[in-house]
Amino acid sequence: MADIAQGGGGGHGDKKVRSKKASTRVDMTPMVDLGFLLITFFILATTLSKPKSMSLAVPDKQEKLTETEPLKASKVLTLFLGKDNTVWALDRIAADDEKAKAELKKVSYGPDLRTLIFQAKAIVDRENPKDDKGVSQFVCVIKPLKSSTYKNMVDVLDEMAVTKSKRYALVDALTTTEKELLGDKAN
Amino acid sequence: MPALKPKRNFPMMDMTAMCDVAFLLLTFFILTAQFKSQDAATIETPSSISAIPVPDSDIMIISIGKDGKVYFGVDNQQTRLAMLENISQTEGIQFSDKQKKVFSLQANFGVPIRSLPQWLNVGVTNPDKLKDVPQPGVPTDSTSQNELAKWIYQARRANNKLRIAIKGDNVSKFPVFKDVMASLQAQNINKFNLVTGSEAPPAGWTSDK
Repeated sequence: MADIAQGGGGGHGDKKVRSKKASTRVDMTPMVDLGFLLITFFILATTLSKPKSMSLAVPDKQEKLTETEPLKASKVLTLFLGKDNTVWALDRIAADDEKAKAELKKVSYGPDLRTLIFQAKAIVDRENPKDDKGVSQFVCVIKPLKSSTYKNMVDVLDEMAVTKSKRYALVDALTTTEKELLGDKAN
Repeated sequence: MPALKPKRNFPMMDMTAMCDVAFLLLTFFILTAQFKSQDAATIETPSSISAIPVPDSDIMIISIGKDGKVYFGVDNQQTRLAMLENISQTEGIQFSDKQKKVFSLQANFGVPIRSLPQWLNVGVTNPDKLKDVPQPGVPTDSTSQNELAKWIYQARRANNKLRIAIKGDNVSKFPVFKDVMASLQAQNINKFNLVTGSEAPPAGWTSDK
């Protein structure tokens, strides 16, 4: 490609006019250097991994809720997201239960939390059959406390996706019994 | 049989093919490049196993910074102008054409409406200084002064196809997110996206869909 066709003069003139035998081959090395330099620049300047997103749907506040059966505590795992990346879990027990104080467990994010959710879900599934749509009756209530971070919340929502818990609720208000139960942890 | 003449050529590789490849790749990268936009604050998002890509166009991004400051941004310049026009009508603040131009170039901002003209003036006089001006964040707290809700409303009036994404920093506190969510819910927006980094799902995990 870099060669330019030589001797366009035709057949007869060949013997009389001797064209110069200088090579027209162009050294491509600097051009290649330049090409790769620019490639490097463009690779570094672009955003490589595109951000992903998780969708979050919250219940409509204006919609009138029809009376539903209250949740049974035996199907619910309540997670309180506290400060310094800790989770306080109430596993299938209501906050006003007298055993609640002793049952309140401290868990950390990651494998611990995941195992806890899996265990609670397995027990609920064993005791309660799946509903007519084939969804487990296990419910997870997520209550981020004031001192929890946004990452904590995303982490827990992610755990919901990992453990395939379809029923979860993000609630920010604490009931009075929960406030008593958590005490100073609630801040 | 004549003696074999050793070739005297200097060993030279033909770079043409390599050059072709280099420029082909270069073209590809130029065409697909999406430059990192200059944001008002750097935000480190948490990661999740979710794999829904964030849409490129028609998107409104509400960012929550490390310190709980809220920044607001819309992707399209036309939408930004229309949104500013709406705000200037409802709030009774006039913006000059130059100020509007500066505003339309900002990916996002965290300035209360009252101090917006002042902030934009910095961009008119010396554009390089604009990014050094500290931004206090869009006020979200009380319901009467909830400017974020106003911006969201006017942005959606300007472009009703806008989708909403919330981009929070790892260490930002939950109550700020709650305020942002309340501003959205007050306008009957109940479905939005949380921008996260990507993370590999645990081994053996498959999506249901």
